Amino acid sequence: MDILWQYQFRIILLGDSTVGKSSLLKRFTDGIYSDVADPTVGVDFYARSLDIEPGVKIKLQLWDTAGQERFRSITTSYYRNSVGGLLVFDLTNRKTFDHVREWHREVSEHILPHHMVYILIGHKSDLSRDRKVTRDEAEQLAAELGIRYVETSAKCNSNVERAFELLTRDIYELMKMGEISTRDGWDGVKSGLTAKVLYPAEEEAEREKSCNC
Amino acid sequence: MGYPPSVVQKCSVIISEHSGLSVDSPVKLMVESSSSGGRGAEEGRPPPRISDATDRQENIIQGMFSHSGTSQTEKSQSQRSQDHEVPESCDKVQHQTSTQPCGTKLPNGHASLNAHEGTERDFPKSTNPTGSYLNSTEDHMMANGELSADSKGGAVSSTSLINQSHSEITLPPQHGAEDRCSNTQDSVIKSTHGDEGELCSSDSPSSPKHSLRTFSSSSFFNTDSAPLSPDDDETFSTSDTPDDLRFMDVSLNSRNTYEISRRQSAPDNIPGVLSVAAADLTLSQKKHGISEIFSRNLFSRKQREAQSVPGWKLFGKVPLRESPPKDSKTIQQEGNPGNLTSVSTPNLLSSGEYEAKVSKSSQSPSLPAQGRRKNLEFEPLSTTALILEDRPANLPAKSEEEAQRHRQEYDEMVAEAKKRELKEAQKKKKQMKERFKQEESIANAMVVWNNEILPNWESMRGLRRVRDLWWQGLPPNVRGKVWSLAIGNELNITSDLYEIFLSRAKERWKSFRETGSEMESDVDSADRESSLDLIKLDISRTFPSLFIFQKGGPYHDLLHSVLGAYTCYRPDVGYVQGMSFIAAVLILNLEEADAFIAFANLLNKPCQMAFFRVDHELMLKYFAAFEVFFEENLPRLFSHFQSYNLTPDLYLIDWIFTLYTKSLPLDVACRVWDVFCRDGEEFLFRTGLGILRLYEEVLLQMDFIHIAQFLTRLPDDTPPERLFSCIANTQMISCNRKWTQVFNALIKDKEMEKSSSPSVKNS
Repeated sequence: MDILWQYQFRIILLGDSTVGKSSLLKRFTDGIYSDVADPTVGVDFYARSLDIEPGVKIKLQLWDTAGQERFRSITTSYYRNSVGGLLVFDLTNRKTFDHVREWHREVSEHILPHHMVYILIGHKSDLSRDRKVTRDEAEQLAAELGIRYVETSAKCNSNVERAFELLTRDIYELMKMGEISTRDGWDGVKSGLTAKVLYPAEEEAEREKSCNC
Repeated sequence: MGYPPSVVQKCSVIISEHSGLSVDSPVKLMVESSSSGGRGAEEGRPPPRISDATDRQENIIQGMFSHSGTSQTEKSQSQRSQDHEVPESCDKVQHQTSTQPCGTKLPNGHASLNAHEGTERDFPKSTNPTGSYLNSTEDHMMANGELSADSKGGAVSSTSLINQSHSEITLPPQHGAEDRCSNTQDSVIKSTHGDEGELCSSDSPSSPKHSLRTFSSSSFFNTDSAPLSPDDDETFSTSDTPDDLRFMDVSLNSRNTYEISRRQSAPDNIPGVLSVAAADLTLSQKKHGISEIFSRNLFSRKQREAQSVPGWKLFGKVPLRESPPKDSKTIQQEGNPGNLTSVSTPNLLSSGEYEAKVSKSSQSPSLPAQGRRKNLEFEPLSTTALILEDRPANLPAKSEEEAQRHRQEYDEMVAEAKKRELKEAQKKKKQMKERFKQEESIANAMVVWNNEILPNWESMRGLRRVRDLWWQGLPPNVRGKVWSLAIGNELNITSDLYEIFLSRAKERWKSFRETGSEMESDVDSADRESSLDLIKLDISRTFPSLFIFQKGGPYHDLLHSVLGAYTCYRPDVGYVQGMSFIAAVLILNLEEADAFIAFANLLNKPCQMAFFRVDHELMLKYFAAFEVFFEENLPRLFSHFQSYNLTPDLYLIDWIFTLYTKSLPLDVACRVWDVFCRDGEEFLFRTGLGILRLYEEVLLQMDFIHIAQFLTRLPDDTPPERLFSCIANTQMISCNRKWTQVFNALIKDKEMEKSSSPSVKNS
């Protein structure tokens, strides 16, 4: 099992098919990249922990969804239980950028009255010659949506960690401010075992208090 | 040929680790592991069969012995390489200890020589022990017994032997080496009593070389690692793979081979007689190859011979000879001449054992514990001979008690090694047997299918025995046909129709290419367009490891055609991710048009339609029905999943969409398809439960994310037989209702719910 962690965030990756969601995740969790990989059918799962602050370990549960529009109806149910979302588009594919708004809208609508913390990801930054979306445009969109923008490349391992870190940090800050908290019946955020040393009896009590995830 | 068990002297072989163990290790063990393990493994060569091994061994031996001393050089060379079935570590050892080489290679004679050479060259610091070792009459470790023979003159001969560079340790004629040869099997390290000449002398007739060879072979046999290839001429120093933790099998194993031998299981690869190795050597100049073969053959031969020659036992334990602490001890054989094992075993320490022993002994503090651990992992694959050496003279003597303890430990190690090797051998045998059985049954089934069933499909398909045969798995070359027939062609698609749709698709692709993919006229075409784009992208992602569907691959266009034609045929469904897997598997088993027909009809089945059209509600019914049987069959796991809110959609979507082709290894998935064709959609869910049952224990230990990850990427080594038996044990009965009934009841409930309440909430 995992080492002790303070919180677990469920984060979902959203975006059109073939923008590179799975590659981003593989790079982030396994440190590898491959030009070809199986298309995601349904949903795939990844996990990784981040030490966001000394003494604060966040376990990230990452859901990789099938991008094809057809799967939207299935994946919507997954949005609801996620606290964070990476909106990913392909810098070399204009259409995928155009669809970002749609994704954002659809997801936000589905999770009302709750909110998700987003980050906009312009992926495949390594293919600079084939770029079809400028940084400015993307930043504009991000500003409009009120979210951050990061350009990444799984292939070159550029900004991948940073992207996840930023999102995680944003969520954590909101948690500290009380805007986000664990909820019964909601899998978006769970609190985990604390790091202190417990005696058996204490441990029992402690465990009952915290959620088991 | 029998190999007389010669008295094997234990030589103090200083085996130091590659990392430069101090030569001063008090305890030096000559380790020889049987070459069987390594042989070929690294080379990827299939282990020689025992009969081959034997033959080869014979040849090798013959070869070896056929040369006279001088002319033996070549042979010796080869021999040497072969003999040097010394584990890498051996090489190292050799290098490091001047004396070691002698010892280790003893079996080959050459080996020792070489080793020695190398050692001397390379390890100036080798201490005396080795050097002196060589010279000491008693303490020669005759890997091949040769040494002993050589040591007939005591040190002198050994020395001379040693000093011969790679030239084989041509045994002075005095070695009636023949007997050595006969020692093919024995990795007897003939003790090189300075004057024993007799060591090898007894049995075999041939030339000195023979005996030398024998000796080496014995060492070979005992060593796991393959003999050094001829390339390993330069003594062990040439071994390329440094392995500090590996003990060099002083004598027989080249570094490489050690590794190889390690990996191999014993019996089949018991290094045969040196002769075998020699023969092989001459065949291949590859560094590891020959040695591997050699060792392996030698071993097998040895084993066989061991079995046939009375008195020869594999892994026979040989009592250690008491000797004054300062002397090197050679493990003596039991009185029995034929006692191969005793000869070999005591003489050759498997590298692992050796190392273990060494590390165990407090006297070899320089050996890292790691080394020991490592070696223990790689316990001798085949007969291993352990040689318990005395401490070199220049070190403080062991106390009697300590010596006793070491001897005990040594004994234990030998026993352990033996046990392990036997077990490995047994396991391997069993596996082979099973495989043969399987192949045979497939061959038989094929005949039945082709001659009886297929010609009378309609009447036979429902028969009990046909269904049973079907369950076993369709033979690959009737698979496509049976799938085709079982799936049927309700849609009445003809190959002409296929051609029509295909050409439509091609036109569309062309027009998209011409107008550019950015064009979007209306939703429908946009969807189609993205379908086509998606197809292209998905194709390259389909079974990437097979390399056949990627661009430029043999089936790329075919897959593209089938999927494209389908989107033209069913624009209402279009292309959905997951389809590429299904089409790909069909293409692998059927001709193009037939694949398309099967594909279209397969997707037309109710379950597939529900999923590919993403009829969410219907899908939920399937999931609910699945859960009924899940709870029924695996209640513990069911509640475990529930506690995590791990709903079936999270794994079933992947499984059902791709019909398990993404999550299961391809061959297993095909088996599933076989029975799916026989039983219908229910079987898909039954398989799901079978998988859960198969991995139940593992899953119960996991948390949400790990379960989810595990289920979407099942282990590559998912065993089909066990999976199918789990599936068979899954009863699709709940409260006396079968799948269809449960499912229909759920549908009806939903419908009733729908009709009764005005507002229907989607779950």
